[in-house]
Formats: sequence, structure tokens, C-alpha cells
Amino acid sequence: MTDALPLDTDVELETPEHMVFRYRLAGPARRAVAYVVDLLVCYGTVAIVGLLILLAAMSGWQAEEIGASAKASLGLILIFLFAAQWLYFVVWEALLGRSPGKMALGVRVVTTSGRPIGWRAAALRNLLRTADLLPTAYLAGVVSMALTSRFQRLGDLVARTMVIVPERAHRAHAIELSPAAEPAELTGLPEHVPLDADERAAIELFLRRRHTLTTAREMELAAMLASPIGRRLGYSHHNPSRLLAIVYDRAVNAGRFERSPSSLHPRNEPAVGARADGDAR
Amino acid sequence: MSIASILTEKVFADRRREDWEKLDELTSKAQDLGVRKVASDEIVELLPLYRAVCHDLAAARAARYSAPLLDYLLGLTAAAHTVVYGPHARDSEDGRERRIRHAWLVAFPQTVRRFRLAMLLSAALFFVPFALGCVMALRDPSFAFRIVPEATLRPLTEGYAQGFGAGRQAGEGALMAGFYIYNNVGIALRCFALGIFGGIGSAFYLVHNGLSIGATLGYVASQGAGENIVTFIVSHGSLELGAIVLAGGSGLSIGWSLVAPGDLPRLVSLQRRAREILVVVAGAAVMLVGAAAIEAFWSASSAPRDVKLAVGGSLFVLVTLYLLIAGRTTEDESPSKRAS
Repeated sequence: MTDALPLDTDVELETPEHMVFRYRLAGPARRAVAYVVDLLVCYGTVAIVGLLILLAAMSGWQAEEIGASAKASLGLILIFLFAAQWLYFVVWEALLGRSPGKMALGVRVVTTSGRPIGWRAAALRNLLRTADLLPTAYLAGVVSMALTSRFQRLGDLVARTMVIVPERAHRAHAIELSPAAEPAELTGLPEHVPLDADERAAIELFLRRRHTLTTAREMELAAMLASPIGRRLGYSHHNPSRLLAIVYDRAVNAGRFERSPSSLHPRNEPAVGARADGDAR
Repeated sequence: MSIASILTEKVFADRRREDWEKLDELTSKAQDLGVRKVASDEIVELLPLYRAVCHDLAAARAARYSAPLLDYLLGLTAAAHTVVYGPHARDSEDGRERRIRHAWLVAFPQTVRRFRLAMLLSAALFFVPFALGCVMALRDPSFAFRIVPEATLRPLTEGYAQGFGAGRQAGEGALMAGFYIYNNVGIALRCFALGIFGGIGSAFYLVHNGLSIGATLGYVASQGAGENIVTFIVSHGSLELGAIVLAGGSGLSIGWSLVAPGDLPRLVSLQRRAREILVVVAGAAVMLVGAAAIEAFWSASSAPRDVKLAVGGSLFVLVTLYLLIAGRTTEDESPSKRAS
């Protein structure tokens, strides 16, 4: 709900455009799973690359040289291990804002002001991973996450970063009254229908869900809302679900412009056309 | 604005949908590939689109459109926001090169000098136990076994006793280089990171490493291979031990910023110091990679003792001069100037 008070797992940010965003924070469980995925990806790659290097070193050389090339390839593997331990997270997070594990779990690292992190922040938060690991199994990190308001481990605190779950809602269609209202249905409906935010939200949720319900259940649920609202407005309809749809349409769309003809009160067509052709914004 | 000029949600959404979908497409592209991979004409499109959609969100809120539409627009603008306000703006290619040069020639040595107290304390925490371990092991070789296992020390001593006449076997240099990078750089980075606990972690690592390196040196010397081990250490020693001291000093410094934050809140003080000191940690890591190369391919080579001593001596002088002098001319610049 956009107008509700933020949950304490949400964080609010204001942009230079004075837009206020709300991000959901990624909790310890989700981040732990992402971490395990990262470990598998990272060390799995090292294992495969290491095996290939060793195989390449073993084949194609004379017997007395095998020892030397095997040693050299072990050195190379150690360098890969170093990169896996210290560079893997830094590079992914600095370039794309998330490591493969974070991609898989749908989380992203941003600064506490909501911007993508750069090299310095990525390096700091991952260097400090060493401290978060202590004394064992990320205990320091989990305690720190429990004590901070943004689920920050020590590395996040030092680098001023946080891990969020960017939520991309799919665009839902606007609620339409269909079929359009018959004039007979509208008798007794006031011109101005006041609905408070809770009522609006409840009707909206119901209207979006009603197609998934059986008719009996639809009517049963609708009646719970329809009877108090209808009584207040002095309006009644034999079908409570239809009543809610009409009331909602009147409350939301009364006095607003639209191109397609819909339920509502008769209007002067020319005026509508003139206004509707203007800039939508 | 009277309510009469507001569009119904459906008409509003139908009209603006094209822009929203375009912004969505560009944003996903930039997030998946990185902003640099997006064509410049598309980037040019992105900014006005982002502002227009921010406007749509404000309009939708004011018109009290339904929650799914607002959530959709919020998600869209939030995603676009992370693309528009990225760190990529300052990252043009020549700018990056200049910043790297500045970090090496100016910022690294300057930052070391600015936090010289922490660095000196770190040197003391490393070299006092080092000297102590060395002297104790020289007086009583069995003392070394309490710090470094006997099973490690004995083969090591035999190795040094043989000298470097044969040089290293083929391939062994590369193996050791990999090991030194994995081990030593890892130690330095850990030594820094654990400084967050009030500097205690760094201090522990410094003392521990100083003591065990000193004890090893003393023990090997007590077994009569002293000249060989000194010849071995001298070439890379100034880079390697210097880097450990610098990394440890950085750790002590962030620890101290937490203990004595001055006028700042503790967390802010820690965050600032960590950002400032990071260049020293990076510098120390690079020094250690250099030291690993020298240690693996040169220190154990069959080059004559005097040449190694000369190389080691000149490296020591170079490192010292670099840390003491590099970047001095620009030192007086105000921080604001430097930032620009």
C-alpha cells in the first residue's frame, strides 16, 4: 500500500526530483542464500578453471618437465583463489551493483542514499567481510544487522551501503466499469461519492480479485462492504458486487476526463473533447 | 488545480504507457549490461524520460490513482534513479587514468604521512616483537619452537643452509609467487579489516607476525644460516614488511577513529577515515604483489650476495624516499581543491 506507514523493513529515500522512494531491505536469510550461491559460482569457477589449467599443464610436455609446469600452474591457481577470495565481490558489485548470487536472489547493493555503489564502497564493504565473518559463520555481521535499522553488516556500515530488494510491480490495468452503467442503475446514486482511503483500497482490491472468485463467494464478500457503504450513500443495488463497481467508478472518475464513453453522468461532449486533446500531463 | 482537469486513470495510463515502457526497456538494458554499454543516443533519451516519469508519478499521486499504478511507477522511477545517479558520471577514460596516477604519486604517500602516528605505532607493534623474537631465538633457539612449530622451522633452516647456488627449480618461482600473493596480500588485507574492532585485530596481527618472523630469523641464524636468510630477505623485505606495517597502520587508524571520533559521531568518523585510508590499503596490496614477484623470482636466485644486498638497499631507500617525499609539492592544496 503506497499510502500506508512504512514497515520497519522498508527504507525511505528522497531523490533530487523530490520523489520519495521506498525500498524493501534484504534480510539476513535472503542475503545468506545469495552468499551461498555466490560461493558456489565463485569457487566452482576456480575449481573448473584450475582443473583445466592442470590438465593443460600435464599434457603436451615431456615427462621431466611435468613437475615444473604443474608447479607453475599451481601458482596460477593460487592467484585465482586469491581473486576469488578478495576480488570477486568487489568487481561484480562495483560494475553492476550485484554479484551473480545477488542477481539470482533479486537483491542489489546501493549506498544509503539509494545510489549505485562505486569502487571504493565495493572495496570497503568486501574488505570488512573479514570482520563480519568473526568469530564464526558471520556472527558479527548478523549481530550488526540485527542492531542497525537498515540490516547493515559491519562492511555496510563502514562503506555506507545497504542491500535492497528492488521491487518492480507489473503494470495493472486501470479498473473499468464494464458493462457501462444503465441509467436505471444510477438512480439514487449521489453526484459526489466520498470514500476514504481505506474504503477505496478495499474496493480496489476486491474489484481486482473478483474474477478469481466463484459467484457466491463474490457476492458474500461484496455484501460485507456494500451494505454499509450503500446505507451511508442511500443507494442500493440488487447485486452488491455491481454496487461496489459503480460506487468506485463514480468516486474515482467523477469529473475526470476520458475518451472512451463509460458509465458516468452525462457531460458536454465538446468540452470534454477540447480538454482531452490538451497535454495529458 | 481543480479536480475537473484530471484524467481518469485509464486514459492517463494509455497516454503515458509508451514512455513508461521505453524507460523500462532502457533501464533494464543499463542495469544488465552496465551503463557504458548503452548507446549514447539512448542515454540522451533516458534523462528526459526519467524526469517525465517522475512527473507522472507525482501527478498520479496527486490524482490518487490506484495502488498498482503507483507501485508500478515507483518501481520504474526507482530503477531508473539507480541508473541516472550512478558513479559512472566521473568515470571518463582519461579521468580514470589521471585519478590512478594521482593516487599513486600523491594520495598514497600523502595519506601515509597524514596518518604517520598510526603508521609509526604500527611499525613499533611489528618491529619490537620482531627484534624481541629474533634476540630470544638467538639466545635460546628452542624459544622459536614456542612461536613457530618445529616441523616448519627445521626444513626451512636446512633449505637456507644449502644456499642459493642452484637457484630455484623451474616452475617453483611461479608457484611461490602465487603462494606469496595468496598468503601475504591476504594477511595484509585481514590486518587492515580487523582494525575495525578498535584496532585490536590489527595490533594482534602485527605483533603475531613480527614475533614469528623475528623468531624464525633468529632461529635460522642460530643454526648458522644467518647470512643466507638475510641475503634472502633483504631484496623484498622493505616492500613486504613495509606493506604489512602500512596495512596494519591503516587498521589501527580506523580503529582509533572509532575510539576517539572527535566532534563527529563515531560511525561517521569511522566511515570517513575508512574512505580516506583505503588508498593506503590498496597501495600496500600492490606493494605486496611486487614483493611477491621479487621474493619468488629474485630473492632465491643464484645472484651473488653483494648484488642482492645492493638491490635490497636501493629498494629500501626508494621506498623510504617515496613515502617521505612523493606528493609533497601539492600537499598544501586545500581538500576542496583536491576534490575538484
